[in-house]
Amino acid sequence: MASAAAAVAATDRTAPRVRALLAAALALPGIVPAPAAAQTMPDAGFIQFKYLDYRDWQPGARRMRVENPGFYVMSPFAEAWVVEGALVYDGMSGASPMWHDTLSGASGEGIHDRRAAGDVKLTRYFDGFSVGAGVAYSHENDYISRGGSVDLRVWTADKNTTYTFSYAGAADRIDTPDGAANHERKYVNDFLVGVTQALSQTAIVQSNLTYTRGHGYFDDPYKTFDSRPDNRRVLAWLTRLNRHFPDHHGTLQLAYRYIDDSWDANSHMVEAAWVQPLPHAFSVRPNLRYYTQRAAYFYFDPPFPTGLVFGQPYTADTRLSAFGAFTLGLLLAKDFGGGWSGDLKVEYYRQKSDWRAGGNGSPDILPFSARWIQVGVGKTF
Amino acid sequence: MRRTRLAVSLALLVLLSGCASFAPPQPWEKQYLATPAMQFDADKLDVRNTQHIYYSKEGAAGGYGIGGGGCGCN
Repeated sequence: MASAAAAVAATDRTAPRVRALLAAALALPGIVPAPAAAQTMPDAGFIQFKYLDYRDWQPGARRMRVENPGFYVMSPFAEAWVVEGALVYDGMSGASPMWHDTLSGASGEGIHDRRAAGDVKLTRYFDGFSVGAGVAYSHENDYISRGGSVDLRVWTADKNTTYTFSYAGAADRIDTPDGAANHERKYVNDFLVGVTQALSQTAIVQSNLTYTRGHGYFDDPYKTFDSRPDNRRVLAWLTRLNRHFPDHHGTLQLAYRYIDDSWDANSHMVEAAWVQPLPHAFSVRPNLRYYTQRAAYFYFDPPFPTGLVFGQPYTADTRLSAFGAFTLGLLLAKDFGGGWSGDLKVEYYRQKSDWRAGGNGSPDILPFSARWIQVGVGKTF
Repeated sequence: MRRTRLAVSLALLVLLSGCASFAPPQPWEKQYLATPAMQFDADKLDVRNTQHIYYSKEGAAGGYGIGGGGCGCN
């Protein structure tokens, strides 16, 4: 399965099953896909189930656990149409928000929440371009989000270049049981412009620019004194390069992302992965990611609530502090034949103030660690 | 400062792109490009789960796609 290069295969000698797998990826529900060298109509459907087990902790304390089964299906129909959808369920428990929150720290109540989310997307293929439209819905006890999206993809005649233009909008409603947030609203508009270019027989690059503009309620209602600006603009520039090395039968995957944030939580992210096929239709993919961000301009270091001025933006949320983070992961996948595939992925994540690039991370914050495991199975049909 | 960031970004882009020469393939030369490892976001649910985790634990997110709607996780 794969995201965009679905169509690349259509013009070459790739086996039908591989082609079907590739075609399975045309659009990520919930995340507009990253088109590859070209787009064509997928000629087979794909169904996937994945189970995620996530845990995080800080020194001396376990915090949050999330168990998340997810389901995705994509199917072509009526010759020029593709429908796809996803359902995910999050069961959250533990004692997250990290600092000065009203659920775990002070009251000791802990968090038990559930999130159910789903989306559906319909895409119509034409000669040289495709048009898609989708809707998304997410429900938590205290947070409901409704969204919609449209996208246009245009590819060149040689199918070596694809341009993507997308728009998505979401209207969110926040109601907390304790009344800290009462019928609050948040509205977000997203824009994406992307280009994917086959550079050679063995290299493909993609660059996406997304611009997110939101207004409304951005506070964390569970954090004492948390008061954030009522608008935010985020510009993210993601560039990825995949390069195959025929002599080693392996593929290098590189990514770099820069984020410019109107709250000043600007960040850099670099990631590298290597995909190595193994005997018996196995493959492994180790990956390493580094992320560094500066603090939001209204984040204040401990001791809490230093810096608080009523009427001014304020947060002690460490997610908006200055820090660096590493992720180390390993994926093991197997093609079972007959359209069946399976995978197991383990990732370990750690945040530390000291790891911010150039130093000057936010002081007096405990390291934060997480690990997550995904087990998945897929089938083309 | 902004100029520095832009310069760093451009330099990285050039580095990324520079790893390969520019010779767009003919239709019969795409067997490597068609392999799953050469796709971006090959595994839908993996991308979705992973980006959701980063979105909920880091200051800002974006770039990978849009249209998933919001959540109360950040």
